[in-house]
This record gives sequence, C-alpha cells and structure tokens, in this order.
Amino acid sequence: MTLLDTAIPSAPGRVTWNREAIGFVAGFLLLALLPLVFGDSYSRHVLIMIFIYAIVASNWDLSLGYGGVFNFGHLALFGIGVYAYSLLAKQAGIDPWIALVASGVIATVAAVLVTIPILRLKGIYIILVTFGFAQLVMQVIISQSDLTGGTQGLVRVPGLYLFDHNMIRDGKIGYFYIALTLLVLSTLFLRLFVRSRAGASIVALRDNEEYAISRGVSLVRQRMVTLAASAFFTGIAGAFYAAYQRNASIDVFGMSLATIILSMVLLGGTSTIYGAIIASFVLTVFSEAMADFGAWRLMISALLIIVIMLVYPSGLVGMIRAAWTMVAERIKVR
Amino acid sequence: MSMFSDIFFGGLFQGSLYAMMAVGLALVWTTIGVFNFSHGVFMMLGAYFAWQLVAFGLPVVIAFPLAVIVMAGAGWILQASVVRPLIGRPNIVLVVVITTLAAGSLMENGALTVWGPRSKQLPSLIEGNTTIAGVGVSLHQIAIIVITPLILAALWSFLNRTRLGLALRAVAQNEDASQLVGLNVTALYGLAFAIAASLAGLAGIFMGGYRFMNPSMGADPLLKALIVVVFGGISSISGPIFAAYLIGFFEAASNYYFGLYWTPALLFLVLIATLMVRPEGIFASRSRGLA
Repeated sequence: MTLLDTAIPSAPGRVTWNREAIGFVAGFLLLALLPLVFGDSYSRHVLIMIFIYAIVASNWDLSLGYGGVFNFGHLALFGIGVYAYSLLAKQAGIDPWIALVASGVIATVAAVLVTIPILRLKGIYIILVTFGFAQLVMQVIISQSDLTGGTQGLVRVPGLYLFDHNMIRDGKIGYFYIALTLLVLSTLFLRLFVRSRAGASIVALRDNEEYAISRGVSLVRQRMVTLAASAFFTGIAGAFYAAYQRNASIDVFGMSLATIILSMVLLGGTSTIYGAIIASFVLTVFSEAMADFGAWRLMISALLIIVIMLVYPSGLVGMIRAAWTMVAERIKVR
Repeated sequence: MSMFSDIFFGGLFQGSLYAMMAVGLALVWTTIGVFNFSHGVFMMLGAYFAWQLVAFGLPVVIAFPLAVIVMAGAGWILQASVVRPLIGRPNIVLVVVITTLAAGSLMENGALTVWGPRSKQLPSLIEGNTTIAGVGVSLHQIAIIVITPLILAALWSFLNRTRLGLALRAVAQNEDASQLVGLNVTALYGLAFAIAASLAGLAGIFMGGYRFMNPSMGADPLLKALIVVVFGGISSISGPIFAAYLIGFFEAASNYYFGLYWTPALLFLVLIATLMVRPEGIFASRSRGLA
C-alpha cells in the first residue's frame, strides 16, 4: 500500500471528486481575482497574512483533526521553517528559493524526530511533550545567539525574487501570488492525502486505535507519516513568512500566535481542511477590523472564540452545514 | 559550603512555588480530566487582587486571605462558564484547552486594562533578611519555604481525612459510581477548580512579594508547573509535589553549573527523555486517582 495509490470508493454522503474539484477551482479562482478589487498594499498584506495562517492552520488540522494527535508543537515546525530559511538564505547565502524548499524538508525531518518520543503516549501527554519540544526549540535558538540573533532575532533576511520583478512594487502583487500558489499546493496536497487510503487509515487510528491496528494499520508508521505530512508546507509557510517579513524573531514560538492559529483550526471545525482556511479569513479580517480597540481587541476575540466553541462545537463549517441543511429542507418542503 | 546551601535554598524556594502551582493543575486534571491552561493567569490575578486590596488600605493579614477567597470564586466561575458546558463532548480535552486559553487571554488583557502594564510589588510576608549557612536569604523566602509544606499537608489531610475530600477523590476515581451514590458531581468539579485557583492565587501572592509583578507573570510558572506534573505523573497529588522540589533543585543546580540560558533547554530535554522511558511520570502509578 503506497501513500496515494488507490482512492477510496465513493460512499453515501461523501462529496464526489468532481464536485469537490469544481468547488476547489472556483474558490481559488475567486481568491486569485481578489487583487483586482484590493489594490492597496495594506489589504494585500492582510490577504498574504491570511494565506500564511491558512496554510499553517489547515496543516495543523491534518495532525490534530484527522490524525487526532494533539500536536502542540505545530508552531515550532513553523518556527523551524522561519529560522531554517533565515539561516540558510542569510548566514549561508543559499539561493532563497532553494532555501524555501529546504526549510520545508528540515521541518519535516524535525516532525519525524518529535514523533519518536510520542509514539508510546496518548492524549494529554502528547500535548505536554510536543509543547516541551516547542519550548526546547525556542531555547536552543535563544542560546545560539551568535548564529540566530537570540532574543533579538535576525533582520535583513533576503526576500524571494521573481525574475527581475521588484517584489515591493505594484502593491506586493508578487508575494500575493506566491502565497496563493503555496496555499493552493498545500490545500491540494492535504485534500489528496485525507481522501487517500493513508488518510482513511489515520482517521481509523483516531477513531478506534485497537481495531485499526488489528486490521493491519501501523500506528508507528502512520503517526510519523501524519506528522511529517503536516510539517512540510508548515515549514515552507514559515520560510515564506521570513522571506516576506524580511526578519526572523522568536515571537513565532510564543503562546499568542499558537492560540490564534489553534482557534482558527477549532473555529473552522476540525477534520475539514477547508474549515481552517475559512476561519483564518474570518478571524484575521475580524481582528484587523478591530485594530483601533487596543487591548479590547484581544478580549473581544477571546470572548468570540469561547462563545463559538460553546454554541457550535463543530465550528464554522458546522455552522455553514447547519444553515445549508435548513435551506435545503425549506426547498424540499416546497 | 556556600555553593551547596545556595543550591539548597534556591531549590527549596522554587520548588515550593512550583508545588503550589502544580498541585492545582493535577487536582483539576484528576477530578475533571481536563487541563486548565489559564492556571498561570489565576496566579497573576491572585497577586493583583491582593495588591488592590492592600492599595485600598487593608492590612496584609486580611488582604491576602481575602484575595485567596476571591480567587476561589474566580475558579468556580471559570469552571461554570467555560468547562462545565463542555462536559460530555467527545473532544473535551482539546476544546477545554482552547476555551481556557481564550479565557486566560481575556483575563490577562482585562488585568492589563484595569491595572496597566507598569510593574507592581506586594509587601513581603515578613520584612528583613538573614544569613543561614553562609547564604543571605530574605525572611519572605523563609516564610514561603515553611508555609508551603503546611498548606500542602493541609490539602493532603483534606483529601484523605474529610468527607468532602473523599468525595472529591471518589469523583476522580469513578465519576458514574460517585453519581450513583448521590455525590453532587457538578459541585465537586467546581470545588476542584476553586481549590486550584486559590492555590495558584496564593502562589501569585508569594511571588509578588519578592519579584515585580506584571499581567503576563503567570506564563512562565504555568510552563514550569506543566513540566512538574508531567515529570511527577499527573494522576496523583503527591507525585507532582515531589517532582516540584526535585525540579526546583535541578534548576538551581543547573543554573549554578550550566548558566541561566541552558537551564530551560536541559529541563525540557530531561522531560522528553523521562516521558520516553516512563510515560506516566516517575512517581505515578498507572491509575487515575487522587492520593
């Protein structure tokens, strides 16, 4: 059984490939046309940040939602991407595009390494170890201040380039399309993965571990595959973030970013991939709209997260599905 | 000799604070089966409530216990608002992580708005300094080293000797059975949170007496408490207490020999290694229950 060889036969209630492909293309075409409406560099900056968050959140949904692995070190993988890119591109002088891909690979290797201590663990212990892993990575980066800049971080990290195009000009259009391309690739990869046999087997492990193992699913291998798969694009997103911001700082390991991204995953509704992407739009736009409220912004966001989690445990996608069912029922009655 | 007593007092002192924090986390975990990520914020709130009461002109002997009681109420309210409604959901562990994180952010930013970002300090429990075995220590630190074991012993006898404490342990062991024999499980959940929050608040008051306090002061102690409970095993009260002192000593020794920068990294490395060998913690049995 290789990773993506055979598709699962269609089942009642499962959206067919064709319908999903139509929705996928339509949705991302819409996103690709957004620069026509939003010409100023501020709103494009917000969109680029949304795309980065969406990549990180939707990849987290793979390990957290589908895999059921409470990986609280996901943001450390993002941070590893940020620092791998910065070190490779700035300190080692490697071509930014090669550094970008290399960062994804390094994050994947790191994810495989984290999997080793958590293979025997369950639930809350996985949270604690992965949390500890994130702190460990941060402490190592801080202590190697000659190379990484320590708590000061690194500045003047080389940005990406596209032929002779000036990336800052035309309202960051270059970065916008690179970010969108990364999001498309990441989403395509994630959806292919979760609809494959490998995806089905990790869901089986999540839902009934003993039964899945007895049917020949390898816990060790699938857990490693899950984490490694969720790490690649997360690392690349981190590298892109560093290239776009032109700096690297240890803030990416902080609790506040982790809380925001985690709420995107949970707010969107786990085990959907698309939910996390929708939620990163909603949360980021919401938070930008309240930029004038200062400390109140964070308080209102926190309150909103609590209310949604209490009222709609399945998140925004659950909300949309509930609304859709209601509309469909109305039409049927007529 | 001075080096040894330095490590000894430093470890004893840090260990006391960690024990106070970790016991609350373990109490909530064993009774309800969730992890309270706003535990560090409780610590901060306790310190700020105490500071506010002292600023109102109350003497320390009244202000500090009053702040601890207020924290018990705060713990109960948190439990009733963001934990209790979720009980019975299949993914409760994960959802409670996010709701308590969000509630923590709410309270932390609330404290920032009310009290401002400027550092504050609480009066010490006892003023003055002394020299023991060649090390200068403040009487405040000595007081903490002495008071903490007393409070932990009181908690232990409450859990083992009183009806209410036994009820709490019963819920931790078997929720359905305790409901069958007529225990009010919901109220006991609230009680666990209230005790945890007041212990965290007390730790905050202790810390505010020797270090400047700010709204994010709880983040680091929460992290240390997490390490302590993993290390000591989350399923008991005594495990985390031993582990807290052990980690206090480890940190003091590591600070001495390897320096401040490498200590956290070493600590996490030891933690991960421990979990690979003994996933249930070094002092724990495999069962979930208070003892």
